[in-house]
Amino acid sequence: MPSTINWIDRLRIERVVWELDQRLYDLPRRSRIARRREVRSNLLTASADVGTAHALSNLGSSRQLAADYLDAEFGDAPRPAWMAAAVFVLAAVTISTWLFNEAVLAFGDGVAARDPHATGIYTWHGIRYLQDTVTYTFTNGHGQSVGGALTPIAWAIGIIVTILVGRIWRAPAQWRRRRAQRNDAGSMTPQLG
Amino acid sequence: MPAAHDPQLLKGLVSLLLLQLLAERESYGYEVVQRLHDIGLPDVLEGTVYPALSRLEREGRLTSRLVSSTAGPARKYYRPTPAGFEALTDGTASWKTLAATVSAVLNRPVPHQPSKGS
Repeated sequence: MPSTINWIDRLRIERVVWELDQRLYDLPRRSRIARRREVRSNLLTASADVGTAHALSNLGSSRQLAADYLDAEFGDAPRPAWMAAAVFVLAAVTISTWLFNEAVLAFGDGVAARDPHATGIYTWHGIRYLQDTVTYTFTNGHGQSVGGALTPIAWAIGIIVTILVGRIWRAPAQWRRRRAQRNDAGSMTPQLG
Repeated sequence: MPAAHDPQLLKGLVSLLLLQLLAERESYGYEVVQRLHDIGLPDVLEGTVYPALSRLEREGRLTSRLVSSTAGPARKYYRPTPAGFEALTDGTASWKTLAATVSAVLNRPVPHQPSKGS
């Protein structure tokens, strides 16, 4: 029996749509937005038709739906996890920047603690292999630092771990499959199921 | 009340059914689910149909257009492309051949049905 949708129903629908959307970040942006709008539209129609609880129940879990949408977009073959890679890069850069900055500050604090009126140039070679040399110039206990950035080795490790976390080695095969699909679009053979 | 259908059996046929229903009349996602229920397939749920529509569209077998709705957001209506009609024709022939073969086997009399405990 058709029913009206109140704001609580709308919130429940929006929550499911949002959950789905969060799991579709590996889709191209336009495709993700289209899926989100379509699911919302269908849910609103279903909700008015059979009630929100029934509509959401028939939709199933947003996790499974997202997995099915991703399979529909990319096929069943293994694919890279771009979102996982992006989250890792963001987290790794944030944490390592904070950690290395703290190390530089700790060195400066150590110099100042040893001699509150320190004057001169102090050098620390940084975290071994991962951080550039840090040079502090102190004048009467007040220091300014240069250096302390990530070394090429640190960047290389970050890139390798990002590739591992995001399984990015799968990307070329996926691109080849999609290119082949586009080429076959005009002359496809039926393969239902 | 319609008998429940094996989801595994249905899974492979959803695309064919969608192509047939959409060839008869273009529909949006929820509507095509209702049409599947109306023909006696209440086990096919939205969570199965929406990704299947998405896949058929990506494969170039369906095309879609947005139609504004007075009841809410615009609805996405699907209909088969020429490739979709071709896939429907071939898929239907393939299904009929398979169904005839399977039916011929399943319709054979079973000579002996052992009772429990024997």
